[in-house]
Formats: sequence, structure tokens, C-alpha cells
Amino acid sequence: MADTIDDEHLVKQFNRGDESAFDRIVERYSSDIAALANRLLGWSGEVEDVTQDIFLAAFLGLKKFRCECSLKTWLFTITVNKCRSYRYKRMLRRQRISQAADKAFLTSAGAADKTPMDSETFESVRRAIQVLPAKYREPVVLRYLQELPTDQISRVLGISKNALQVRLNRARAHLREDLAELIKE
Amino acid sequence: MTEDKIKNLLQEADRMAGLPIPVSANLSAVVRRRAHRRRFVNLAAPLAAAAVVLIAAGIWNLAIRTTETTQEKEKIALLETQLKQLYVRTDAALNLIQDVLEKDQKQQSLDELEAQLASIPDPLEEIQKQVDKTAFILVYQADRLYRELNRTDSAVETYNRVIELFPKNRWAQVARQRLSEIEEQRKI
Repeated sequence: MADTIDDEHLVKQFNRGDESAFDRIVERYSSDIAALANRLLGWSGEVEDVTQDIFLAAFLGLKKFRCECSLKTWLFTITVNKCRSYRYKRMLRRQRISQAADKAFLTSAGAADKTPMDSETFESVRRAIQVLPAKYREPVVLRYLQELPTDQISRVLGISKNALQVRLNRARAHLREDLAELIKE
Repeated sequence: MTEDKIKNLLQEADRMAGLPIPVSANLSAVVRRRAHRRRFVNLAAPLAAAAVVLIAAGIWNLAIRTTETTQEKEKIALLETQLKQLYVRTDAALNLIQDVLEKDQKQQSLDELEAQLASIPDPLEEIQKQVDKTAFILVYQADRLYRELNRTDSAVETYNRVIELFPKNRWAQVARQRLSEIEEQRKI
């Protein structure tokens, strides 16, 4: 609650022309935004560009922010939208790039391996998440990885709670099918 | 139960992937710079576009005007040439008409004169007639003097006058015959 009040204050400060307020907003939310972007983009690791784009959109649109939801929710909404377009662009770009980059990433990710999950399992999970349509992947990430409450997810995605439940059910069905072997274990 | 397994799998994968590469410390400054640049572009682009459009319109207008002026000048020059040619042709036609009219008038005058001349009797002929008439009268008077009045000397004098005055006239020949007759009569 204190954060929300502080956010409102920062937004007002920014709208009065004090751009230093934006520095504090970035400082406060950049990690969360980067983490969400990373998850929505299938743990790609490289989220600097998209994070910049997200905060640029926030900077340009902050004057229109009416504090009808929390600043964090608003930023998450921007993140989801930006990641959608970013994924689309990346999909087009990846048609020209070999799969070697992904393998290289797996190798580097394995260096930070502190869990019993092997790289093969990780790759299976990653692929299962990546092949999920955006409308199912986003609720899954926000629910299981960001661990946001239902209210906030439905606000971020701009859908009703019922619609969110439906999407989550269908997403789980997809994942059950794709990760059947891993779940059995 | 399955939901928990899925959740665990996803969270394990997320932990394995680790945190993304930390965003740069000057993210805020970079974003602000980009935002200012974009605002400037958004503000300047329409102005630049408007300026470009205005300049293009000006150039286009100028080009059109220049073209129009050149075209108009060419048209005027062409019209002037055509007008001059027309003047020349008109003058030539008028001169021709004038000549024809003058010739007609001359011909008409000539015809009238010829008609008038035709109506006038030939003076030589007239003179010849008068000469002939005078010679006849003299011969007639001389004949009356000789035959009716028996004044032979006066008659001879008159016949001689006819021969003297009109030597080539036929009545001079008649006068000579009368003189011959008178001579023969005197001989008898």
C-alpha cells in the first residue's frame, strides 16, 4: 500500500516535469520487469533491449497513466505487450539464425546449475513453454513464475477472471501433453 | 496434483535459467535520452515534412510558372509570327484585289471610251464627206452657170477652182470632163 502511494507520488512528480522521479521508478521496477520479460521470452537471457523499450514506452505514456491500477500492474501490461511484439520480431529473425545459439545458451545456463534439473529436461520445459500460444503462455508465466494474484493477472492481461481460468486450464492441458514424461516421473 | 508438478517443473526451469543479464545501471538515462530523441523526432518530423512539402510546392510552383512563362512566350512568339504572316498575306491579297479592281476599272473605262469612240464618226471620213460635198456643190454651181445661165467663163473658173482645191476628188475629175466639153464646144 505504501508502495502504491509512493508510486502515485512519483507519477505526479514526473507529470509535474521532474524526470528524476522516473529514475526512481526504473530503479524500483527494472529487475521485476527484466525478470518477467526474460520468462515471457522463454528465458532468453538477453532482455536489455526489450527492457529499454518497455521503460521507453512507460516514459512516453506515463502522463496518460491515471493510477486506476498499480504502477507495477501497468508496467507488467506494457511488458506483456512489448514481449509479444518482441517475440514476433524474434521469430522472424530466428528463421535466419541457426539453432546453435540456443545450444550455446544451454551450455552457459548449465554453468549456473544449482538444481538437479538436467539441461535436457530444461530444454524440454523451455520448448513446451515456447510452443504455447501467447494467450496461454502469458497466464502461465504470470501465475507460476511471477506468482501474481488472479486479480492482478486479469488486469495485466486485460481479461476477466473466468477467461483467465479458462486459459490457464487450456495451458495446463497443453503442458500436460507436452511434458507428459516429465510429469510421470 | 498435476498443477503442482507443472508449477514445480516451471519453477525449476526458471531457477536453472537464472536471472537475466542485469540491466545496465544507466538504463534510466538511456531511456530518457531515447525518449527525448523520439519526442524531438516526433516534433521535428512533421515540421521537416511540412518544410519539405512547402519547399517542394514552391519549387514545383516556380517550375510550373517558369514553364508556363516559357510556354506563354513561345505561344506569343508563334502567334506574332502567324499574325505577321497573316498581315503579309492579307496585304498581298488586298494588293491583288486592288490591282484586279484597277484593271477592271481601266478595262471598263477603256470599254466606255471605245464605245464613245465607236459612237463618234470618223473625222477623216467626215472631212472627206464635207470635201466631197463642197466639191459637188461647186461642180453643181458651175454646171448651173454653164448650162442654165450660159455663163461659160464663170463656169470654167469654178471648175478650175474645184480641180485646184480638190485635185484627187472624183468631182475634180468631173470638172475636168466639163472643161474638156467646154473646150470642144468652143472649138466647134
